[in-house]
Amino acid sequence: MPNVTLPTDLPPGGTRREFLAQAGGGIGSLALAAMLHDEGLLGGEGSHDASSTRPRQPHYPPRAKRMIHLFMHGGPSHVDLFDSKPALKKYAGQPLPESFGQVMTRRKVAKNPLLGPVRPFRPRGASGLEISDFLPHIAGCADELAIIRSCHGDSVNHPQSVYQMNTGSILMGKPSLGSWLSYGLGTECRDMPAYVVLPDPGGAPKGGPPAWGSGFLPATHQGTLMRAGKEPIVNLRPQPRFSGGEQRAALEFARKLNRRHLALRAGDGELSARIASYELAYRMQSAAPALVDLSGESEATRKLYGIGEKDTDEFGTRCLLARRMIEQGVRFVQLYSGDTGGWDAHKNVLKNHGTYCRRTDKPVAGLLKDLRQRGLLDDTLVLWGGEFGRMPMSEQGTGRDHNPWGYSVWMAGGGVKGGIAYGATDDVGLRAAVDKVHVHDLHATILRLLGFNHEWLTYSHNGRDERLTDVAGRVVWDVIA
Amino acid sequence: MRGHGRESVNRRLMIPLLLGLLCPPDAFSVDVDVERGAPGTIDDAAKDERPITTEDREHWSFRPLRRPSPPAVKNARWGRNPIDRFILRRLEEKNLVPLPPADRATLIRRVTFDLTGLPPAPSEVDAFVSDPAQDAYEQLIDRLLASTAYGERWGQHWLDLARFAETDGFEQDHLRPNAWRYRDWIIDALNRDVPYDEFVRLQIAGDEFRPGDPDAAVATGFALCGPDMTDINLKEERRHVVLNDITATVGTVFLGLNIGCAQCHDHKFDPISQADFYRLRAVFENVDLFRDHPLDGSPREESSGRKKTTKSKEQKQTANQTAKKPGPPMGRVFHEQGSKRKPSHLMVRGDFKRPGPTLLPAFPRIANPWGERVAPSVAESLPEEASTSGLRASLARWLTRPDHPLALRVIANRVWQHHFGEGLVRTPNLLGTTGQEPSHPELLDWIATELPRLDWSLKRLHRLILTSATYRQASTGLADTMVAWTEDQRRQASESYRRSLELDPENRLLARQNRRRLEGEAIRDALLSVSGRLSVRRGGPGVMPPLPREIRNSIRKDHWKVSPDEEDHRRRSIYLFVRRNLRYPFFDVFDRPDSNMPCGRRDRTTIAPQALALLNSDLTLDAARHLAGIVLTDCARLEGAARQRAEIQLAYRRSLGRRPDDAEIELAEELLRSLTTRLDAEGRPSEDLALPEPLPVDRSPTSAAAFTTFCLSLFNLNEFIYID
Repeated sequence: MPNVTLPTDLPPGGTRREFLAQAGGGIGSLALAAMLHDEGLLGGEGSHDASSTRPRQPHYPPRAKRMIHLFMHGGPSHVDLFDSKPALKKYAGQPLPESFGQVMTRRKVAKNPLLGPVRPFRPRGASGLEISDFLPHIAGCADELAIIRSCHGDSVNHPQSVYQMNTGSILMGKPSLGSWLSYGLGTECRDMPAYVVLPDPGGAPKGGPPAWGSGFLPATHQGTLMRAGKEPIVNLRPQPRFSGGEQRAALEFARKLNRRHLALRAGDGELSARIASYELAYRMQSAAPALVDLSGESEATRKLYGIGEKDTDEFGTRCLLARRMIEQGVRFVQLYSGDTGGWDAHKNVLKNHGTYCRRTDKPVAGLLKDLRQRGLLDDTLVLWGGEFGRMPMSEQGTGRDHNPWGYSVWMAGGGVKGGIAYGATDDVGLRAAVDKVHVHDLHATILRLLGFNHEWLTYSHNGRDERLTDVAGRVVWDVIA
Repeated sequence: MRGHGRESVNRRLMIPLLLGLLCPPDAFSVDVDVERGAPGTIDDAAKDERPITTEDREHWSFRPLRRPSPPAVKNARWGRNPIDRFILRRLEEKNLVPLPPADRATLIRRVTFDLTGLPPAPSEVDAFVSDPAQDAYEQLIDRLLASTAYGERWGQHWLDLARFAETDGFEQDHLRPNAWRYRDWIIDALNRDVPYDEFVRLQIAGDEFRPGDPDAAVATGFALCGPDMTDINLKEERRHVVLNDITATVGTVFLGLNIGCAQCHDHKFDPISQADFYRLRAVFENVDLFRDHPLDGSPREESSGRKKTTKSKEQKQTANQTAKKPGPPMGRVFHEQGSKRKPSHLMVRGDFKRPGPTLLPAFPRIANPWGERVAPSVAESLPEEASTSGLRASLARWLTRPDHPLALRVIANRVWQHHFGEGLVRTPNLLGTTGQEPSHPELLDWIATELPRLDWSLKRLHRLILTSATYRQASTGLADTMVAWTEDQRRQASESYRRSLELDPENRLLARQNRRRLEGEAIRDALLSVSGRLSVRRGGPGVMPPLPREIRNSIRKDHWKVSPDEEDHRRRSIYLFVRRNLRYPFFDVFDRPDSNMPCGRRDRTTIAPQALALLNSDLTLDAARHLAGIVLTDCARLEGAARQRAEIQLAYRRSLGRRPDDAEIELAEELLRSLTTRLDAEGRPSEDLALPEPLPVDRSPTSAAAFTTFCLSLFNLNEFIYID
């Protein structure tokens, strides 16, 4: 026999460390996550470490340990929801004054008459934050919210803006925020991937999967799509024709042969990792369905999210799933509201936003309340927003065109001040005007809340240290408690 | 590989764009003038450009190509061609000994996957293993190189570089109905062994070298394969992004330089100035973008109204193809409107709204030690009737100089990489100062200089590399796998292997062959092949097999129309439709690149969704049922215990290219026995069982279904998806 230790499951070098990390609890304690994401990956430009999702410490003590992103796809109208503009009401029906200069719009609406807020705003809560009647439930949580009213981005188009909100860049193919967090923080939970996306069952957002892609980061950090219902992940369930003992028998057989194969190839960490990934895949088949099984949730909880009610059942279910994942230690859960059209109210804001607000208002408020009552909101950051806002000018009479030049998002929970508004748009809500917050600034702030200096969270790619905020980004300290 | 340049450019150009909204409309011209007048600003970079220093030229890849002599080695008995002497020399310096050759069964599986992306048939393995000819291996290589599967395999490597897709990307992700013609051209060109210099020339300037030649027209689709924001508001921005993408792609693919980094500012690490970038871009400035052009090489002046429709564009285009006979097929290829050149500018900070000084077309200085000039006019070698500027032809000639240090090192390294899993330089798209150094610089140069001597034939280069003793080495020194070795060889092999693992864990010195995981495309093709299902249809529009239900429900319905003919679902992976916004799920989990930037080296991750795809997908279920069907039918004439043994053996031979040993047969028998018992006890109706297809008449459904499970488990072996 050769003078090599045989057989062995422990690969040399960097992968050995990872292998031990995942095997640490014994194969028996490993589950979904590790399998999905922690199998000692090789390749890529970064170190082997870059593809691991072992938990890591950020640069500073984090204010939030995890995050839920409620992505209102299509572009919710800030001037109808969170940014009250008396002047817009006053000048409704008139054209935008000359003094605003030239406006770039998607559909040449610059000369159209202004459209006043379609529903009234009122002061809410102790803070008196003004929120529209479109969102009575979220308005009830006003004192939890830090509304940023001066956000702006770089493109009037959907996919470019969806990419930018997710990745910082208007081009396809860059790593998304969730991927950066997975890369930077890993996951504490070995039952779930670090980054989970719950898409709208009506369809993917414009621009599609690159929105949650890992770009040049290792594929382990890309968003894993999960759906509510019986088949949450692609190929998760064994084929019905293998419903008896077939799959277990096949796995058992393959495991024995893979070990024989490995014995003659001692030292190959990748082969060992694959053996482990099968064990994990097998367990994942029961872990993921357990997660989407809501039968253990109380009636009160279900009611809180609007589960069982016609309008809110679907989004409420996903909001509850988000909480369950957060509880399991998932780092970043992203929910999309709106199919390929979504909140894109070109024609009739009242009708479109009426529908989408009805679907999401109660579930979102329910999520905030549930997180609060479980003590999770203190270290969970919630972000609500779209890829841009909408124009003060009308389109087709009662609709509005895309507006990336000024819009609102809000944050709540982990480390964020409650009941405040930061920044402002101009008098009619056309452009961010006071304390402007570019998407890069928003990203820098989010990373700071999660414990990162956005300039230090980098990944070397093609000889350049890439980061989420490219060469920009400013932390908005005023929204941090 | 993805450059950062495009991103930065856009982010930066958008800021001024935003400012533009707040400023009076004529602000831009003023802005440029101010910029020009201000001292120390970048607009005059062409004048203030930092000269290339002698030190800059010292970086290994910029140095002139010289032809090294194969070094002297101690063990003159090892080695079959000059490549081996370069390898052995370094091994001897480290006191390492190469492994003996892999046995023939291993070798034929390795080289067949390597050249064709398919597993060898059992009959081919048998023939090779028992072939008494001295040159059996050389004959095998020649046969594989001559098969059309070669182009279907190596074509994918090239398409990764070309960031090939059949849609635009972004919101609409519109169809490019004739994009497949470029894919077919690549496959065909590789199969015809079009000399590499010509292969490059046609892709850069086929329309200039061979006006009117459909082949040459289609070849120029290369540079225009990338994503395109068709729906962006500003046409100038779109043009700027595409021209920069073309320039960056040419730099990455042919020169191995990330020159895209220099679109906003001088390259931070490599001696590439911003002016270098825009001078190279100037070569493409005359190209007529955003219109489809005839793919038969015929001239055409007027646009055919593709612009008008947006909504039903896809249906219309498809209809156009099939219904009336509208003339030549149209697509995105290089086309110029006459030979008059458009002026080109350095774009201040990469901003398309801020044209700086006018630049003349030129090659990046660091890559052009000869100071060769872009031909000032339509060059003498261009045919008379040329109606183009001739700039790209000039670039193409320069890129294919037989002494080009970068261009030749790049391709030599790429070919090597796909035979060994890793290049001599492990950053194949980065030969500049930010990339890795070559493990064997002399060997790389020797191969780079060899290619022109082989008349630029890639097939001859493959043959050279594949016939080396270095390539033929075993990948493991643990002798049980290597039945042909002598006792002495075994002892020595295990010792060398141990030392190689210890001293050279990454195997940079190649004291053993690398083990390689198959790409998703090759795994799928292998599944279809071993189950006798692989369609032999070649070429034509991309086909769409069904998607998993979970994915089907989450995409736009018109984005994936399953091909009506079932046989099309079983075609080779390279013929699957490539939608930029939706990677085919099976390839997606196995690290297929996203077709937005040239990819020279795929990631190789190991994640649980890969296991799920191999265990639970329709693809593997179908393959298992058909493999079981073939095997059981084939062995049906046998009786008793011999029959089951033959079945197990045949399943092994078809899926893994070798015979099982006794222990493996026992394990398989045990699996079949226990599973059959279990299925009998369960008493499921036979329509709920994974029955083989076809099911032999005399076979009990439960034992047959157990055999399907056995076949499925073979697909889940590491051995199935790894070479070696």
